[in-house]
Amino acid sequence: MVNFVALAREHWVNILVPMGFVIGWYLDKQQDQKLTAFRNKSILFGREMKEGEEVTWK
Amino acid sequence: MLKIIVPTLMLIPTAWLSPAKWLWPTTLAHSLIIALFSLSWLENLSETGWTSLNLYMGTDPLSTPLLVLTCWLLPLMILASQNHTSAEPMNRQRTYITLLTSLQLFLIMAFSATEIILFYIMFEATLIPTLMIITRWGSQAERLNAGSYFLFYTLAGSLPLLVALLILQNNTGTLSLLTLHYSNALTLSSYADKIWWAGCLLAFLVKMPLYGVHLWLPKAHVEAPIAGSMVLAAVLLKLGGYGMMRIMVMLEPLTKELCYPFIILALWGIVMTGSICLRQTDLKSLIAYSSVSHMGLVTGGILIQTPWGFTGALILMIAHGLTSSALFCLANTNYERTHSRTMLLARGLQTIFPLMATWWLIASLANLALPPLPNLMGELVIIISLFNWSWWTIALTGTGTLITAAYSLYMFLMTQRGPAPAHVISLDPTHSREHLLMTLHLLPLTLLILKPELIWGWAF
Repeated sequence: MVNFVALAREHWVNILVPMGFVIGWYLDKQQDQKLTAFRNKSILFGREMKEGEEVTWK
Repeated sequence: MLKIIVPTLMLIPTAWLSPAKWLWPTTLAHSLIIALFSLSWLENLSETGWTSLNLYMGTDPLSTPLLVLTCWLLPLMILASQNHTSAEPMNRQRTYITLLTSLQLFLIMAFSATEIILFYIMFEATLIPTLMIITRWGSQAERLNAGSYFLFYTLAGSLPLLVALLILQNNTGTLSLLTLHYSNALTLSSYADKIWWAGCLLAFLVKMPLYGVHLWLPKAHVEAPIAGSMVLAAVLLKLGGYGMMRIMVMLEPLTKELCYPFIILALWGIVMTGSICLRQTDLKSLIAYSSVSHMGLVTGGILIQTPWGFTGALILMIAHGLTSSALFCLANTNYERTHSRTMLLARGLQTIFPLMATWWLIASLANLALPPLPNLMGELVIIISLFNWSWWTIALTGTGTLITAAYSLYMFLMTQRGPAPAHVISLDPTHSREHLLMTLHLLPLTLLILKPELIWGWAF
């Protein structure tokens, strides 16, 4: 138990960068949602999805 | 995009909050993880070329290799710096890592900006940490002089760019890289328009640097600590090339005749700076001048504005980034042992550090563009496209290649061969850290032989 507390006290900073990655990943996801709000709705560019295709832009 | 930027930002609190004995391992490990994650940018499946878009940033085949190079360089800088900063107080070491991290942050935002003004702001912002690294951590009093040269050359070049960009914004109504291609071609005929054209390019030509405005570079390189030299040679110079390739799109109808003097100056610079290298006594200065020479070729490749020229320029920028950074690291291993940059004072190191001599050989060969390496591919593509444009250029590029081989050999012979001088009595043995550092420089270079299309830009 004591070891665990010592470990956490010594090494808790290692969580910061992975946490940053998760936050960044979440924000990226939000941005994708925002930028693709009208995906495939355009009369000019909208098309039928191919088989197994989720989105048109990838 | 934010997947990489936010963790990079979090490296700063990590550097300040981690316990003293874990500072370097922690920051090294985390920056390396960020670099490995950044490799995911290389997978580009998009139809338009642009991926990882958000409202202000995105990557395309041109910026991706430079972004990955930027991320790759931070762990290498941390690895290279830990020996010479170890004697300093803890807070200064943390500040040092903070500066390096902030530099990576600014560089990522510069290379990924989709708005030219954001690129411009980040282009300027990189000056601040670099200036602090040079003027605070350099080892001699001349570093202050080098810092002011660096700052004022770059600022004097880039203020006209700001004005030119504002004029462009007024005329086209946008500065977004995504839409600027589609704006009407500018009809530029007056004298002032030509000045505008020069204003658009000047900042980047100074940053490259073009022969004639290159004086800040050898000074900055010689005075900067190892991490400063590494990032300057590997990434900061490439900001100039990247910026030129981006802005060229706008300058198209007018550029033909206006480019000539700059192409000639760039090619002349290859020969001149190569010749300067041949008679250098200072190891770091030699490597710095060799950078100017290689960048002259890149400038020539960009200014003739052909797809091949652009591709060659991008390949050479990436290859040169890794090679020159490796050479600076090697120079630093010498410097940390002999405390001198003068080549005459540390000869015959092959007998003392045989494995290090192998690294010197490989790095010198990469510098002179040995066949399978991307360095050769870049040089060849640029030389061919220049030759196709005008066959007179082969006189300059060919001589430049010969001189490059000559000074690379000179550098290798001066530092490695011959008897060890009598005053060299006790040298520290090499560390595994240094060998790891060299491996991490040369491994990507070797792997790029197998998959060069990663750095071909839009040509692939």
